[in-house]
Amino acid sequence: MSLAHNRAAIPAQAGIGLRHPHLPAFLAAPQPAAWLEIHSENYLAPGGPRLAALERLRGDYPLSCHGVGLSLGSAEGLDEAHLARLRALYDRLEPELVSEHLAWSTAPDGTFLADLLPLPYTDEALDTVAAHVGRAQEALGRRLLVENPSTYLRFREADWDEAGFLNELVRRTGCGLLLDVNNLYVSAANGGDDPLAALERLPLAAVGEIHIAGHARVATPVGELLIDDHGSTVAEPVWTLLRTVLARTGPRPVLVEWDTNIPELPVLLAEAARAEFHLREVDDAVG
Amino acid sequence: MRLAELQTRMRQALLTGGSPDLELLALLADPPPQRERRLAVYRNNVRHALLSVLDAAFPVVRALIGADCFSATALVLIAQRPPRAPALYAYGGELPGFLADFAPLAELPWLADVARLEWARNAALFAADREPLGPDRLATVPAAGLPGLRLGLHPSAWLHESPWPIHAIWDAHQPGGGALEAVDLARAEIVLVWRHGGAVRQRSPGPGESALLAAFALECPLAEAVEMAAARDPDFDLSAVLARLLADGVLTYPN
Repeated sequence: MSLAHNRAAIPAQAGIGLRHPHLPAFLAAPQPAAWLEIHSENYLAPGGPRLAALERLRGDYPLSCHGVGLSLGSAEGLDEAHLARLRALYDRLEPELVSEHLAWSTAPDGTFLADLLPLPYTDEALDTVAAHVGRAQEALGRRLLVENPSTYLRFREADWDEAGFLNELVRRTGCGLLLDVNNLYVSAANGGDDPLAALERLPLAAVGEIHIAGHARVATPVGELLIDDHGSTVAEPVWTLLRTVLARTGPRPVLVEWDTNIPELPVLLAEAARAEFHLREVDDAVG
Repeated sequence: MRLAELQTRMRQALLTGGSPDLELLALLADPPPQRERRLAVYRNNVRHALLSVLDAAFPVVRALIGADCFSATALVLIAQRPPRAPALYAYGGELPGFLADFAPLAELPWLADVARLEWARNAALFAADREPLGPDRLATVPAAGLPGLRLGLHPSAWLHESPWPIHAIWDAHQPGGGALEAVDLARAEIVLVWRHGGAVRQRSPGPGESALLAAFALECPLAEAVEMAAARDPDFDLSAVLARLLADGVLTYPN
């Protein structure tokens, strides 16, 4: 199988997730974002002004397409019609990076649950996800980056921990890792683990992109849970973890995501500027 | 438990209320009550994601019945008819039909048609791109060819003859729109929705224009379409109506 490796084209700089409220600002003037990422499923409609706006911007910014609906972990197979829609979009936009999630969102009866749901880290799940990553890379004609999920629960039955599962997935499929540092922090906190220990065991050589975002701390009658709501500035411990990650991986494209309570564009750009600062720290250390 | 069964059980647990699935809960690593609370995070995420989609697509229906009533109604729809595809821009088209049969809201018979109008606006935003027919293009058609000319509607266009004043009800919820109290609920209304220049537009055509548009949608020749329009409205003014439709980007040539 021959896969297009486009990794070089997204710069190892800070980008932002492009959201609809910010489209007018981007169309009106160039904005200081080194690159943009979209949620692929937001642009699958046949036409209209949003797709037209993205096609205009695409010429001015490197682009990453982040799928949120392929459901790599579905027991009953991939949705081939959805794969074909994604392929058509990617052929039209020619993104430098394409990514999906280690999760499932389509149930066996075809219901789409609109959330990134957790998998048990069993051999059966690994076989399923590896087959689907292979099929998706073939159908899309591109290498996938697979993102580590934020999780709120774990299953009793497990043949692997998450890091081991991802290592094996990378080994079997040749996919890359989209390392979401906020997810790493949130999942470790919710599972009572040390994120640094998990980090040590992840396939860091395969990291093609890094995500950061804000999370919420929610008190419940049974203890605190961290919720990955992408609704605030990046938390300080996540910035610290990002610096640790960058020290291990070297400079990589870093994306700031913000999806709920979306702020004015300058607030988002300020977060990207801080990520850029931490990227330069690594550059200086390496150079 | 096999992955497929686990996912089927989670689908049930996340979308519907009812009694807890003890076999599913037994698979979770945490003891009670933490495991119930953790599963509930996902239930909230799923409901919140789908409710947000419906909130955004049906702002007027939501304002008419109130946010709490809308959420309660939408949650019934979500449990009974969840999305079938990972493309949420297309989720919500079943709400109008659902409202039409939803007994608790039967005293608001016009609600389903207002929902149809809002869904048409949503669909118009995402409809396929197509160059509309401008007034200059039609001028190149020789006079002898006009009666047999077949015109079509832009892919975003939606025409609906409602027994209710849904355009006026919608308009009353827009900034600078009319007063809701002033709307005569006994009045029937025709609505045309389309997209032009990247924006969704909407107006209420007369019966003659509506007949003309319906004929265009069926790709009838112009002479036949005009006959149908004149049958609905003896004072139908073809040149004025056609000039406006062309200027507004409503028409194309058929496929």
